[in-house]
Amino acid sequence: MKPAVIIPLTKLEPHKKAKISHIKTEDNATLQRIIAIGALPDADIVLIQKFPSFVFQIHKSQFAVDKELASCIYVRAV
Amino acid sequence: METRDYKGPIENSIEMAIEKIAELLRYDYYLSPRSIAILLLQEDDGIKSLVREKDIVNFNRISEIVADTKKYYKNHISYELAVGRQDEVSDIVKKTVKFGKDRISLGERLSRLVMNPLLGIPLLFLTLYIGLYKFVGQFGAGMVVDFIEVRVFDRYITPFAETVTLRFIPWKFLHELFIGEYGIVTMAFRYAFAIILPITSFFFLVFSLIEDSGYLPRIAMLIDRTFKKIGLSGRAVIPMVLGFGCATMATMVTRILPTKRERIIATLLLALAVPCSAQLGVIMALLQHNSRAMLLWAVVVGSIFLLVGYLTSKILPGERPSFYMEIPPLRIPNLSNVIVKTYVRVKWYFKEIMPLFLWASFLIWLGRLIHLFDFLINILKGPVEAIGLPSEASKVFLFGFFRRDYGAAGLYDMSTHGKLDGVQLVVSCVALTLFLPCIAQFLMNIKERGWKMGIGISVFVLVFSFSAAYALNMILRSMGVTL
Repeated sequence: MKPAVIIPLTKLEPHKKAKISHIKTEDNATLQRIIAIGALPDADIVLIQKFPSFVFQIHKSQFAVDKELASCIYVRAV
Repeated sequence: METRDYKGPIENSIEMAIEKIAELLRYDYYLSPRSIAILLLQEDDGIKSLVREKDIVNFNRISEIVADTKKYYKNHISYELAVGRQDEVSDIVKKTVKFGKDRISLGERLSRLVMNPLLGIPLLFLTLYIGLYKFVGQFGAGMVVDFIEVRVFDRYITPFAETVTLRFIPWKFLHELFIGEYGIVTMAFRYAFAIILPITSFFFLVFSLIEDSGYLPRIAMLIDRTFKKIGLSGRAVIPMVLGFGCATMATMVTRILPTKRERIIATLLLALAVPCSAQLGVIMALLQHNSRAMLLWAVVVGSIFLLVGYLTSKILPGERPSFYMEIPPLRIPNLSNVIVKTYVRVKWYFKEIMPLFLWASFLIWLGRLIHLFDFLINILKGPVEAIGLPSEASKVFLFGFFRRDYGAAGLYDMSTHGKLDGVQLVVSCVALTLFLPCIAQFLMNIKERGWKMGIGISVFVLVFSFSAAYALNMILRSMGVTL
């Protein structure tokens, strides 16, 4: 399997399937929010739309987040 | 519990740390020692200070273990724990759950349409127009309020209260307290039951329908970007929409906002630039025959809302708001849920608001008894003339603060007697919208934000409303605008 490129969620094309690779943030409050959403490594994620907010689906749940939060989530397209 | 890529020594692993900490806990916390240990490792502030207080002897040792464990992990412990849990859950799900084929349901298609900015934003305005303006405003605040006020209160309750008061209370100065123009029965009860009760019932009904359909998070998601510019997040859409119903209630609902900074900005904007249904009703009545004036009023108030929000968010220190919200599937609301919710909310709201109305009645009674009002009307004359209005309009502003229908009726009379031209009409409507909404909201500001901030916001609103009206009058006059 060739290694796929790791990009922030903000750069992912809508409707493409991806897997979360890691979370990057120095801010504990932000980290807690991402944990609450369940955006954790290895979870399958589909970006639904980018504007005006980022909407994505993990498993059977959809979430809307702002750009700051979305840019902390790094994904690998599959 | 262990995370899969932990490579450090076993005695420094999270699992070992949990065991060591659990053994050091002596006090009975109701939760199992293991749970407390896990919360301590995640550096939960509440639990930490509790343990510091209850397990004084071992607290330092526990803190050392937490600090040691952290050194061996690349990420925050709470993150490591979440990943560990996620792995466990995935294993169980893999063995036990079978998923059908992914297909996009009708609800999901609709959801995407609603969230699409090109379609979603016009749809949002349409929903607000039909739900708030037509249903709550025209039907609830108009027809139903008229019915209860005129048919029920004016015909039965007020005369009854008058008879009882006059028969059983011999002191004339006390009559005023119950059945005077601003009395407990004639104002507090009438305001609460004939005006606020129907408006809030209709409003909460619409709100519960919007909420139960799953539309609310979608509105929040559409509006977040705009709200960020004024220091709020999409979440603030709830108090802001409620503000069009009753700003006092909306101020109370700012409790749902996560930071103090957001609560302050929202309270200020609600007091200043979000007209409540009572204000909207009056303004619509005043401007209905002059569509250019109405448009100008809407543009001015809308711009002030954005401008003041923007400036406040620049000035106030603190963390920028963050937005994250689950988007639940769209559903057809369950009627009995909606009715129960509406009932519970109206009841809760009433319990909060009723004492405020009683207080207002009492304060006005006192104010009139000691001739405070004549004094205040005289003070207001200066600013009122400065914004280009006849001096008798000062009464409108003062009484509007206590009893909006009265104040507004004054303005309405003035306009029908041809005492106000188009510019004066717009200027007075802008001033009335920005001006302190009502005494209940003033008291709520203090209750929710504390004395200093509550009074501060009110003074700012007072000064700003007249300054803005003054500037608007100057600009329109110097440009020779006639409306």
